[in-house]
Amino acid sequence: MIWLTWRQFRTQAAVGLALVIAVAAVYLSTRSTLLDIARDTGYAACTADCGKLAQQFVQTARTGYLGQLYQAGALLLILLPALIGLFWGAPLVSRELESGTHRLVWNQSISRNRWLGVKLGGIGLATAAVAGLSSWAITAWASPLDEVDGWVVPLTYAARGIVPAGYAVLGFVVGVTIGMLLRRTVAAMAVTLVVVIAAMVGGVFFREQLVAHSTYQEALPADWDGGISLSPDDPNHAIRLEVGPPEVATWVLTNKILNSAGAEYRGPYDPDYCGPNATKGGSGPKGCRDWLTSQNLHQKVTYIANDKFWALQWRETGVLLVASSLLAIFCFWWIRRRVA
Amino acid sequence: MTSAAITKNLTKRYGRKTALADCSLDIPAGHVVGLVGPNGAGKSTLLQLICGQLAPTAGSLTVLDGPPVTGSPRIGFVAQDTPVYGNLSIEDHLRLGRHLNPSWDDDLARERIERLDLDPKQKAGKLSGGQRAQLALTLAIAKRPELLLLDEPVAALDPLARREFLQGLMEYVAETGTSVVMSSHLVADLERVCDYLIVLVKSKVRVTGEVEELLASHHRVTGARVDPEKLGPGRTVVQARHTDVQSSLVVRSTAPIEDPAFTVDGIDLEDLVLAYMSEAGNGRDRILEKQR
Repeated sequence: MIWLTWRQFRTQAAVGLALVIAVAAVYLSTRSTLLDIARDTGYAACTADCGKLAQQFVQTARTGYLGQLYQAGALLLILLPALIGLFWGAPLVSRELESGTHRLVWNQSISRNRWLGVKLGGIGLATAAVAGLSSWAITAWASPLDEVDGWVVPLTYAARGIVPAGYAVLGFVVGVTIGMLLRRTVAAMAVTLVVVIAAMVGGVFFREQLVAHSTYQEALPADWDGGISLSPDDPNHAIRLEVGPPEVATWVLTNKILNSAGAEYRGPYDPDYCGPNATKGGSGPKGCRDWLTSQNLHQKVTYIANDKFWALQWRETGVLLVASSLLAIFCFWWIRRRVA
Repeated sequence: MTSAAITKNLTKRYGRKTALADCSLDIPAGHVVGLVGPNGAGKSTLLQLICGQLAPTAGSLTVLDGPPVTGSPRIGFVAQDTPVYGNLSIEDHLRLGRHLNPSWDDDLARERIERLDLDPKQKAGKLSGGQRAQLALTLAIAKRPELLLLDEPVAALDPLARREFLQGLMEYVAETGTSVVMSSHLVADLERVCDYLIVLVKSKVRVTGEVEELLASHHRVTGARVDPEKLGPGRTVVQARHTDVQSSLVVRSTAPIEDPAFTVDGIDLEDLVLAYMSEAGNGRDRILEKQR
C-alpha cells in the first residue's frame, strides 16, 4: 500500500519537494543581504535606544527585492493550506470514486481502513513537512525584521513558526473529506477552497481567545501624544481621543481612554478650552490638551505581546491538529459505512 | 464446500430505492454461474454484497463458508466497466497487485500479459476497452481467488474482444476449476461459458438452475388456442402469447408433454431467459389478455 500511495503521489511529491527547495534556496541565500543591511544601517551594532535605527533598517530592507521576498513569503504560507487542500486533498479519494478505480483497489487483499490510513498518514506527513520546512526557512529569514515589527502582528503571525503546517494539514484533511462526500473532483476543489479560506479567516478571530490578554492601564501623562476629534456644532460637546498604544503592545485588541469613573471617555468638552471658539488655555490645541490632561483620564489597552508568540503557536497548532484528527476519524467512519 | 455463496432473504435498499429484494439463493461452487437480468435488476448489487463492498440492509449471506469480507484474498472481483488507473502503466498495475495481495501469482500475471501481446510499459489509459478488461481480469485471477466475480465484464466490448475475453476466462477456469459468477444483461455473452444460470429481474430471482437442466425442462408449446390453465399438473407456464387462432407457450415441465393437440419444441437459452424476463415485465399484458 505504501508503494501504491507513493506511485500515485510521486508527481505531487516532486512538486512539493521542488517548492521546499526553491523556498529554502531563495530565502537562505538572501539572508546575508538582509543581515548586511542591518549592519550597514548601524542597527546590528546598536545596544541601547535603537528604535530609530531599527525603523531605518526595516525601511531599507522592505524596499527593493527583499521587500518583495518578504511579501511573497507571507503570501505563500497563507495560500499554501488552500493549495494543498485543493491539489493534494480534494482529488485523493474523489478521483478514485469518479473513475471507479476504488472498485479495483478495494478488491485487492487490503482493507479500506488500511488504504485510507496509509494515504492520509503518508500524504499528511508530506503536507506537514512541506509547509513546516517552507515556514522554517521564511521564519528564519524574516526574524531580524520581525524582531522590530513584532511576531504576533496578525498577518505576520499566520506566516511564521508551526501554524502554517497546522493549517496545511487541516487543509489537506478538509480536502479529502469534502472529496469523499461530494465524489466529484472539481466540485470538491471549489468547496475545499471556500472552506479552507473560511477556516483561516475564522482562525484570525478565534486566535485571541487562546492566550490570556495583557492589560496596560495608566493615567494619561502630561506630555501625552495623540489625536483629538470633536465636532464644534455638536450640542453634546462629544470629544474623542486617540492615543497610541505602548510599545510592548504588539497586537492591540482594545485601546480606550477612560474617565475617572472607569467608563469610556466621550466628553463633554469645555468649549472654552477646546474647539474653534476656545478662549482659555492659550492658543492652538495645546490649551485643549492641557485641559484634557487635567480631567484625570486613563488609557487602557488590552493586548498580546511578543512573548506570547510560542504559546499561541503551539495552542493554535494543537487545535488545528485536533480538528484534523476528528475529520480523519470521520473519514474512516464514512468510507466504511457510506461509500459503496 | 458445495456452495460459493448462500443468501437468505437478502435485501439492499439505497434510501427508498430497493436494489435487491428478499433474495434467497444458493450459488454452487465449481460452476461458471451466469447472472443474467436487464439493466438495473440488482446484479451489481448482488455481486458487491458477495464481495463485501456493500453491507446488506436486511437478510444474511455466507460467502465461502464465512461472512463476506472486504479485501478478502479469496475473492477476485472484476468491477463493471473494468476500471484501471489511467496514468499507471501495465507494469505498475502488476506491481500494485503484487504489493497488495499475499497470494499473488506473478508468473501467471506476466505470462498472461505476454500472451496478450501487451507492452508492460504502456499506460493503462491508452489501452483499448478489450485490453483494459484483460488487464482487470489478469489482476483478479493473479490473486489466485477461490471465487471470481465479474460484473458485466464484456458489456462495453466489441464482439471480437468479447470472444477473446471469454476465451481467456474459460482457459483459466478449465485449468484451475475456480468458481465464477459472471453477470451480463445479454444471454448471448453467457451462453457459451456458463453451466449454471440465475435470472434476476426487478431485484427478484426468477429462475436458477444448471443450464442443461433448464434446457431439458423448458419447452415451447404451440398449437390451437389453449387455456394455459388446462395444461395439467406439474407444468408451469412461463410465458404465454396468444393470437386469435394460435397460442405459443413457454412451459416448464420435468415430464415430457405428449399431447397431439400441440407441437412441442425445445427452446434455446436466450428464448428461455427472455421468457422469464418478459413474464416479469408484462404482468399487465396478461391481465388484458384474459379479459379479452
